[in-house]
Amino acid sequence: MSRWTAALRLVGVGFFIGSSIVLGVVAGLWLDDRLNTSPTLGIVGLFLGILVAFYGVYRMLMPLTKNKKNGESG
Amino acid sequence: MGGRRILGMPRFILIGILCLFVLLLIVGFLVGPLGSSMVGELGLPAWLSLPHPEFHLPAETAFHIFGFPVANSIIGAWITMVALICFSCVITRRIKLVPGRLQSAFEALLGWLYDLCRRVAGEANGRRFFPIVATIFLFVAFNAWLSLIPGFGSIFITNAEGEHVHLLRGANTDINMPLALALISFVFVEYFGLKSLGLRYLGKFLNVGQFFDSIKQMVKGHLKAGLGGLLTGLIHIFVGLLEALSELVRVVSFTFRLFGNMTAGEILLLIAAFLIPWVFALPFYGLELLVGFVQALIFGGLTLVFLTLAVAHHGEEAT
Repeated sequence: MSRWTAALRLVGVGFFIGSSIVLGVVAGLWLDDRLNTSPTLGIVGLFLGILVAFYGVYRMLMPLTKNKKNGESG
Repeated sequence: MGGRRILGMPRFILIGILCLFVLLLIVGFLVGPLGSSMVGELGLPAWLSLPHPEFHLPAETAFHIFGFPVANSIIGAWITMVALICFSCVITRRIKLVPGRLQSAFEALLGWLYDLCRRVAGEANGRRFFPIVATIFLFVAFNAWLSLIPGFGSIFITNAEGEHVHLLRGANTDINMPLALALISFVFVEYFGLKSLGLRYLGKFLNVGQFFDSIKQMVKGHLKAGLGGLLTGLIHIFVGLLEALSELVRVVSFTFRLFGNMTAGEILLLIAAFLIPWVFALPFYGLELLVGFVQALIFGGLTLVFLTLAVAHHGEEAT
């Protein structure tokens, strides 16, 4: 993997974490408002957002660690 | 002594310009709200200072065409498009073997982008992705730089509702434009994924193969192996769901990154020019030039990375 790919992947990580958590919470709160289930779905949304954030970061970063184990190739 | 030149100009001119700058900075500081709150009102003429800046987060409607409202940010987008189309027409009309200044500048820029595409996506895919990535990059960068032209935000117009609104506004500072770009990037990612992997691409999001395999095993009588496989199958389905959700989140994160950075830059310039008028906003202009370029690179580059991920077969994404 080239240095550019690694750099671009890392650039995307921060906003991805923020957006997924915020999106989860906002969607949860909106559903709460609609279905009168406050605060259950807000909390579910928060945890789902955190889960998606961790999963996405894992997917984005795992190839980078693999690259390091095999030695720098570019 | 008089022949010494710094930055291509005689020394006394440079010193004169520097003195003028410092003088303007001091005057700006004294008349601006920051200085006058420290030193007190000096009774300087009112035209030296600026009015209190107002920033409207939603774009304002400038006028109507056939009943459709035309926002000021869409005019900025149109200007960017026309400028880009004119530029490319002028440059490609007279392509020379020994390029002129404009041609070589664009050749260097596009060559660098093409090189980036090939390095990230590989030779064949780089060629396929280059038009999308380059278009997004050029549009975002030109749009960001367009709104930095002095006077761009100073043209006012009175619209049909009788409001006094800006005629022009950078399209990136209206959330609809980054959202549209993010959706375009999303559609292209899915399109190329489907085109090169076929229906297998959807298997990433709807990973039910293991689940049904284990049910089949349980029906055949291998209960223990089937139950273990069932759990793995459920986890696979859940991971597929997470994958689909992360695709959705990506659109949101693309949108807000571009919108947030561009709007923050615009507000920063307004505030800097308001607090200390005249030359204080100059370093921030330089910063915003860099931010525009970097955001364009990130938007184009991340699209490229996700395109590459979408066409990669499962399990060989590390290459």
